[in-house]
Amino acid sequence: MQVFKLCLRIFYKNKLLMLIYVIVFLTISIIMSYSITNELQTGTSFSPAKTTVAFINEESTPLIDGFKEELARVADFADIPDEPEALQDALYFRQVSCILRIPKGFTDKFMNGENVQIEKISIPNSIKNVHVELCIDKYFNTARFYVQGTGSISQHELVQHIKNDLAENAYVEIKTREKSANTNLLNFFYNYLAYSLSSVIILGMSTLMLVFNNPDLKMRNSCSPLSSTSANLQFILAVLLFTFTSWLIMVTLCFTINYKDSFSVNTVFFMLSSLVFAFCCSGIGFLVGNLVKSQDAIVAVANVASLGMSFISGVFVPQELLGNQVLKIASFTPAYWYVKANNSIARLTQFTFDTLKPVLGDLIIIFGFGAAFFSVSLAIRKMKES
Amino acid sequence: MFLHIFTYRLKCLLRNRENIFWTLLFPLILATLFYFAFSNLNSAEAFSAIDIAVVDNEQYRKDENFKAALEKASTGNDRLFNVSVVSGEKADEMLMNSEIDGYIIVDWPIRLVVSKSGMKQTIIKTFIDNYMHTFSAVSTLMSETPDKIQNLAYILNNRINYVREVSGTTSEPNNILLYFFSLIAMTCFYGGFWGMREVSDIQADISAVAARVNTAPVHKLKTFLYNSFASVIIHLSEMFIMLAYLVFVLDIDFGQKSFYVLLTVFIGSLAGFYFGAFISAIVRKQEGLKVGIMVSVTMICTFFAGMMNQDIKYIISRKAPLLAYLNPISLLTDAFYALYYYDTLTRFFSNIAVLAVFTAAFCTGTYLIIRRQKYASL
Repeated sequence: MQVFKLCLRIFYKNKLLMLIYVIVFLTISIIMSYSITNELQTGTSFSPAKTTVAFINEESTPLIDGFKEELARVADFADIPDEPEALQDALYFRQVSCILRIPKGFTDKFMNGENVQIEKISIPNSIKNVHVELCIDKYFNTARFYVQGTGSISQHELVQHIKNDLAENAYVEIKTREKSANTNLLNFFYNYLAYSLSSVIILGMSTLMLVFNNPDLKMRNSCSPLSSTSANLQFILAVLLFTFTSWLIMVTLCFTINYKDSFSVNTVFFMLSSLVFAFCCSGIGFLVGNLVKSQDAIVAVANVASLGMSFISGVFVPQELLGNQVLKIASFTPAYWYVKANNSIARLTQFTFDTLKPVLGDLIIIFGFGAAFFSVSLAIRKMKES
Repeated sequence: MFLHIFTYRLKCLLRNRENIFWTLLFPLILATLFYFAFSNLNSAEAFSAIDIAVVDNEQYRKDENFKAALEKASTGNDRLFNVSVVSGEKADEMLMNSEIDGYIIVDWPIRLVVSKSGMKQTIIKTFIDNYMHTFSAVSTLMSETPDKIQNLAYILNNRINYVREVSGTTSEPNNILLYFFSLIAMTCFYGGFWGMREVSDIQADISAVAARVNTAPVHKLKTFLYNSFASVIIHLSEMFIMLAYLVFVLDIDFGQKSFYVLLTVFIGSLAGFYFGAFISAIVRKQEGLKVGIMVSVTMICTFFAGMMNQDIKYIISRKAPLLAYLNPISLLTDAFYALYYYDTLTRFFSNIAVLAVFTAAFCTGTYLIIRRQKYASL
């Protein structure tokens, strides 16, 4: 088992380089698992979405106070000083979705029936603004209704009236299909795995290939009494072991971080798809190792390949947010099909052949990619030898 | 003498394919990937008409007011909804297939059926609430002042827009740009690869080339300066190629102040170069360790400048502004950001000033370490 042992030693020697990607994966995962869980909305009762706004009030009157109280039902107020830079920063970094300013003299003019407006600085065409605007219009149109309808009304009476009116609300009911496992977080992790797994496997595989492709070493090996079949088999065994181990480490990490959500049938399929993807990555690594001649170049190619795939295939940015053109290009990379398969797995609630069909189709494509990479590499080797 | 050293150094550096890749090609590839991945990112927060359904029951057919309100909200270019009127079962089916975000059953109170909580669902609810509140206000008013009923219809039908959109600055708050700003800042600091090599190639105990250079009858500082000049020229050219690619090919908006943008790139490039030189001077070990330290420091600084997550930059600038001033990549990113987003130049200049201090410090530090080094035996 000399060849097998040699392979393992080469992998072991390069552990630091590969460890970087595992650590990056771990760090991002931990950060994400904290930030995502806050956003997840579960449960069967309806909770209105809230918008964060900066509310700058240049006057304090019962009307405006009443308005602020109403607005508080749909908006959280961010505490931001009334300085242009601070406000603009908050808007740019989406800490608030709009800045509302009640100009001085608003109430007086409003009560006199004059035309007044609240000043709003916002992110153009954002959905949250549509909502805030709807709420503002709702409040002041109801108020105007009383002001004009009664002819004379005090602010306190007005606010009281509006309060009574606004107490009556639509009844909201939530209907879902049977309750599914909480797969959003898992889906994110397994998608993100594409980046780390491909980095580690491509780097490891191509480094190994580089060593074995060294002409001197090759000549020495071919005159050894070990049969080439045995040498190749040992080599394949080592590669399989490496791929499987890398996959196992990553999946274990996923499992440890999300142990709460991991006990579902979906997880089994996530694991299956990532295993097929790992096989495909080792194919890419094999190809890169056959094409590239130096260690420096390997690091460059591995980075570009894994980052490139991940960016356009929806690993870092969800596929829904990518342009159609981009997705079309991405469909020529295995990562696209991997992410697509994972997204379908996340939505699964029933596991029958019919519901699993699209997932299996994607997995076959990923496997096909892997097989293609291996065969192209073998063809190149053959060509080089002859 | 200058011309001789300079020309050969230029040739020598240009053949360093690895450095060219990391300082030019890699940023270009990354910029392209950013462009592909992020160009649609804001579509998630953009508003488009919400698909809803109304159950076609008797109450709905009778309720002319609600029909009218819904009609008004679902026509025109800036409409809120795309409405389809369907049977109860059909509405259920559409909701389950995610064809609609919710459906309305006219009853009292009006009912809304959705499949999850979210912004779109909340907007539908607010719309219905709005209708119900108006209805409630009308009944209150009618009971209090029945004599003004005719007037009421007029007031009711003339809804007024109480919001006026004012713009904060001349530039849109397009937060995708910040990814590119931090990327170009990072690329400036990748100039450290060149600076690192210059210092390694002048210290005779670190590299063989340096040993040879030290035996030549040229003053060491002169060699270093001429060589550095070649490196800086290469890195500056790379930076301008990068900038041109971002502006002309990817159409990234750097604002109107082109001269200042060029100035920022120039200072950033120098800062990056001397940053690498400084690290190379203090870490007197083999190449791998130097590169490792430089790349990790750059990555950490880039992370805190917000390239991976923009909120980080905001949190730091609000909670620990000093930290932002101590991070040269954050200073650079912020300089581009201030140029693009602010109408005034105060923040830009304060960023550039601190960056200049950093550059001067790296430069002096490097000089103090490498000057007058003599070797007893080579």
